[in-house]
Amino acid sequence: MTEERNDRFEVSPEAASSIAYDVAVVGSGVSGALIAKELSGRGLRVLVIEAGPSHDLTVAEYETSLRRFYGAASKDNNAPYAANANAPMPRSTDTTKLRPGEPNADGYLVQLGPLELDSTYTRVLGGTSRHWEGKALRMLPDDFALRSRFGRAADWPLGYDDLEPYYRRAEFELGVAGEVEEQDFAGLRFAPDYVYPMHGMPRSHLDRVIADDLDGLEVARDGETFALSVRGTPQARNGVPNAAYDGGRGYRPVGAVSLHQAELGERCQGNTNCTPICPVQAKYDARRTLFQALGTGRVDLLTQAVASEVHVDPASGRVTAIDYQAYADPASAEHVTGTVRADVFVLAGNAVENARLMLASGLTGSSGLVGRNLMDHAYLLTWALMPEPVGALRGPLCTSGIEDLRTGAFRRQHAAFRFGIHNDGWGWATGSPYGDLEELVDRRNTFGPALRRALVQQISRQVLMAGMIEVLPDESNRVTVDPRYRDRLGNPRPVVSFGVPPYTLEAAAFARRLSRRLYQRLGAEDHTAYHPAEPGWVSYQGEGYVLRGGNHWAGTHVMGTSPRASVVDADQRSWDHPNLFLAGAGSMASIGTSNTTLTLAALCLRSADTIAKDLETAAAPVTATAGGAGA
Amino acid sequence: MASTDLRAEFLALSAALTGFSVFRLEGTGQTDAYLTTIGDIVGEATVDALVSVHRGLVDATGGDEAELQRGLRRELLSDAKLGPVARNLVKLWYVGTWYELPAAWRDTFGPSLRDRTFVVSPEAYTEGLLWPAVGANPAGAKPFGYGMWAKPPRIDTV
Ligand SMILES: Cc1cc2nc3c(=O)[nH]c(=O)nc-3n(C[C@H](O)[C@H](O)[C@H](O)COP(=O)(O)OP(=O)(O)OC[C@H]3O[C@@H](n4cnc5c(N)ncnc54)[C@H](O)[C@@H]3O)c2cc1C
Ligand code: SF4
Repeated sequence: MTEERNDRFEVSPEAASSIAYDVAVVGSGVSGALIAKELSGRGLRVLVIEAGPSHDLTVAEYETSLRRFYGAASKDNNAPYAANANAPMPRSTDTTKLRPGEPNADGYLVQLGPLELDSTYTRVLGGTSRHWEGKALRMLPDDFALRSRFGRAADWPLGYDDLEPYYRRAEFELGVAGEVEEQDFAGLRFAPDYVYPMHGMPRSHLDRVIADDLDGLEVARDGETFALSVRGTPQARNGVPNAAYDGGRGYRPVGAVSLHQAELGERCQGNTNCTPICPVQAKYDARRTLFQALGTGRVDLLTQAVASEVHVDPASGRVTAIDYQAYADPASAEHVTGTVRADVFVLAGNAVENARLMLASGLTGSSGLVGRNLMDHAYLLTWALMPEPVGALRGPLCTSGIEDLRTGAFRRQHAAFRFGIHNDGWGWATGSPYGDLEELVDRRNTFGPALRRALVQQISRQVLMAGMIEVLPDESNRVTVDPRYRDRLGNPRPVVSFGVPPYTLEAAAFARRLSRRLYQRLGAEDHTAYHPAEPGWVSYQGEGYVLRGGNHWAGTHVMGTSPRASVVDADQRSWDHPNLFLAGAGSMASIGTSNTTLTLAALCLRSADTIAKDLETAAAPVTATAGGAGA
Repeated sequence: MASTDLRAEFLALSAALTGFSVFRLEGTGQTDAYLTTIGDIVGEATVDALVSVHRGLVDATGGDEAELQRGLRRELLSDAKLGPVARNLVKLWYVGTWYELPAAWRDTFGPSLRDRTFVVSPEAYTEGLLWPAVGANPAGAKPFGYGMWAKPPRIDTV
């Protein structure tokens, strides 16, 4: 079926190729949308090139995605989104156990291992934010200075205080609900009198029951003692606006994205489905920002256009053009190739796709680091049954977590981590509640009222604590391309190598021991079990663990202070190509224990300032007197 | 459309197997869809056999719940042909998903083209009884409202 365009802001490939834009942005996810909004807001003419269709700018189309999810037998992360062989995306269900020396090329990603990664992303309008969960954690001051504080990895070229104002802007753009008072751990600093745009999500009943028994538990590590406490998790989900925001001016939540009037998205209703699709659009996704950008009238959207090659002038290193393949019908490989020209180019396709596109264009970077230092969080899931029903499967996926082990002197020895407390039961780990139903009906031979009672005992008591463990940059973890593996349009697919060192495994072992202690204290039945046949299984010091992907792809174009040791500078500007910005988590020099999006949003807002300044400087009439220094 | 008798007997059987009342089952609006789904896959004769075993047991046990349960185990759930179908019926009501029958069943009683794991319809998912059974909402639908997750769950005792 040929897709129709929304004439109001969508351009045809012919038109896009004929216009000289100030800025061309590849990707309409959080990174691309924020940059497009900021720059168009300052009068610049922007083109956004998006590989996926323009679906879901209306509530009706959004409903189609929702119904696709309801009707899908596998409710994985990408279940609501139609498969599209012209802009394929990874699905967690493609991940299988690897045999040494045999790549898994069944899905879109070609996985070389050694660790199987079940992380995904989405190539649709709004990008991966469509199915992100919405946790919006700032990184800690220590996370920016791993080398100087702990002798590990590299320091960032900027510090927490440099990024702090941009964190505030990002919390505004994403609409974060949280309480500053709860974030007073590990040296996290906020501006005086700062409050989040919205009050924190109410804690779940489960959180309270857990807090009752766990708060104050002391954990000794490397000479330090950490008193644990259950804290609310800041998240980009509409709640109750905080009247004290912005010096008492308050905050107005942004509702559903729609071309027509729609009364939706005002407040989270507890659908427990933030990943993969929020039915009422209470959760932030990048279509909101994109929609605001389009509203300036200075942003053109070119959808169903896959950026395929970046062209560079060998003399100056400047990017001269980007080629794209425009297809009319997702069901057919038929396409035309076009070219965009602009003064500044931004790649915002996410850490994997940015690296893929650069490498497919033969641009490995003078440091040779494009695609290397691939990072993601390693998740160690632990799960248990609480003594009484606690109401699992209600509310946003997570409302609280345990943050106290996110930094400390122990980071010289092993990675930091946090625990997220899951309101959605064991689903992530075991396939519950479907698996529980199957077990009770098919194997435990329960039926009638006894089945109902057994389901309550088996499901409503569930708690899952997800240990999100830091993985440091390592050059051998990487995205590459290989001409043997291509997608339907002929673009090379990402080839992923990923493994975790003892530094991370030591933290996994510690997190597992700690979780045992937490469950003992809660009187909860620990049902955690890891099997060697599962993807992600690792053995460390005689014990086996299963590590799951964190969906936080990062590091493939790390930022730093020199072209020899990094791909971009602190503004995400390519060292080699001065009018090219590689935007998103790929620029992160390390990922600490924060989900990446708030930080990448802050980085992109910062880059937008730089790009605007660049273009203003270029456009300004020359009035300098003799000998004036360049800006 | 099934005869009124078959439909009523199908509901009565479903109530005994799921632990939800006929009234509650009817409230899902899925009765006809499920009756059709099962009939299409295992054949009308097998559906008739299912409901008639239940009817016979109801008549024979005269309202004795424990005896009825015992009868269902002996004559329905442990029957090589009817047992797997009955278990599938339970899962259908609970999550709206038809599960592909066990391989042994297919080998013995003949495969059906439509016998694969699938969700009967988007509504079948949202109307599943698993969610109310555990005091939850189906993920992505029928939310309880802002902040309701802060309260203890409300679970009907059975
Ligand atoms: C299940 C899940 C849960 C998550 N939960 C959280 C969370 O709770 N908190 C958090 O901080 N982060 C979370 N994340 C991560 C978060 O979603 C990403 O960090 C974020 O969305 C990245 O934004 P981006 O704009 O950089 O990239 P993306 O969102 O991936 O957007 C890239 C865009 O570029 C387009 N594109 C790619 N290649 C091309 C091309 N060649 N040509 C044209 N267009 C192209 C894509 O179609 C897409 O629209 C989660 C991710 C997943 C998968
Ligand atoms: S809990 Fe539900 S309503 Fe709230 S953000 Fe998640 S999916 Fe949306």
